[in-house]
Amino acid sequence: MNAACQPVEVRHLSKSFGTKPALTDVTLSLAPGTVTGLLGRNGAGKTTLIKCLLGLLRPGAGESRVLGERSGDLSPGVKARIGYVPQEPVIYPWMRVRQGIAYQGAFYETWDVGLTEDLLKTFELDPRQRIGALSVGQLQKLAILLALACRPEVLLLDEPVAALDPEGRRHFLRVLLDLVADGTRTVLLSTHITSDVERVCSHVAILKDGKLLQMAEMDELRGSVKELRLAASRPLPEALPGVPGVLSYRGGGSSAVLTVQGDVPAVAARLQRELAAEVTVMDLSLEDVFLELHR
Amino acid sequence: MTLAAERLLRVFPSSGVPIYRQLMDQVRALLLSGQVRPGDMLPSVRAVALGLEVNPMTVSKAYSLLEAEGVVERVRGTGMRVCPPRSGLPARDRVAGVRPLLEQVGAKAQQLALTRRQVREALEPYLKGLTE
Repeated sequence: MNAACQPVEVRHLSKSFGTKPALTDVTLSLAPGTVTGLLGRNGAGKTTLIKCLLGLLRPGAGESRVLGERSGDLSPGVKARIGYVPQEPVIYPWMRVRQGIAYQGAFYETWDVGLTEDLLKTFELDPRQRIGALSVGQLQKLAILLALACRPEVLLLDEPVAALDPEGRRHFLRVLLDLVADGTRTVLLSTHITSDVERVCSHVAILKDGKLLQMAEMDELRGSVKELRLAASRPLPEALPGVPGVLSYRGGGSSAVLTVQGDVPAVAARLQRELAAEVTVMDLSLEDVFLELHR
Repeated sequence: MTLAAERLLRVFPSSGVPIYRQLMDQVRALLLSGQVRPGDMLPSVRAVALGLEVNPMTVSKAYSLLEAEGVVERVRGTGMRVCPPRSGLPARDRVAGVRPLLEQVGAKAQQLALTRRQVREALEPYLKGLTE
């Protein structure tokens, strides 16, 4: 394995379905010990990216590598070090839960039987139940258990909590944090629940229409997108042409609210000077940041 | 004594304030209120991460910044220990700790057209605990 290569490397990856582009020139790399939240609207390309990483889809251009090997031809040895939770888990419905676990475990050298027992209890799964009779949420819990039980070095999760109740989600977050606590795993997690991402993720990647809009450390991203509130004794302008990094502006009268991306202190100082306004900088939640970047 | 993370610390992921800053503020507040004393050990990074369901790197970051500020010190193999207050520093350096706040007070007072005397009088009740 190339020493400079991170556990997950994506270079200029593009993928189309027919004439419709799903991913366009995506480049990113994920370092060991990081948990990256993959955000994007429906159809932004999250699932396509994860499937390309696993070699389940062939890219049109560019390439991706996981643990040093090209996604298209991952060896069984490397596959055994990757955990994957698909959006819609498919597990043999005629098996019982316990059989399904034993069946999958047979493929892995690093299978942690103790962990599977713990997770069965945590997720309140009945090992004797037929997999076909599980609810959507229970099936998702089983898929998470199967992905984690080999203690994977790279974990790819495609909306793993979409069908879980709030308690199940909390259990999942705790289990995930327990796995990454040793600082050696690499996790990519797609989800729509931004508050979960704020809790457990160190990094954020945002896809928009197949393009990578942002790839940054969580605090760096949140430090670079802020809301400014202006108050002045003179009427403020209706728009702010020529000020760089302004994502949105609602103004008029003696007060205005705008969101800014980039060098926030510099923009704040400039507005204070040019408009003779009192400027208050407000923090935004990740959800607000996400929505502002999609304006 | 090691502190129980989930009992003393709380995070609000969507409040807008980065989680590492919430943790730093809370440790400082616990110190000021006397719930945490010099010599106490902070809970381990892992305990805080699992207890509060936040990323361990976030907790590490908060601890490292508190260490850089001299609020806690790293004890090899044991964890983070709360330091005694840093009265050993020259007064000039300690004054630097309140200067940003005083600058804000000054600027705000100017905007509100207050007099020096009005500001001094307003400040007085907050200085009660100090020596002459």
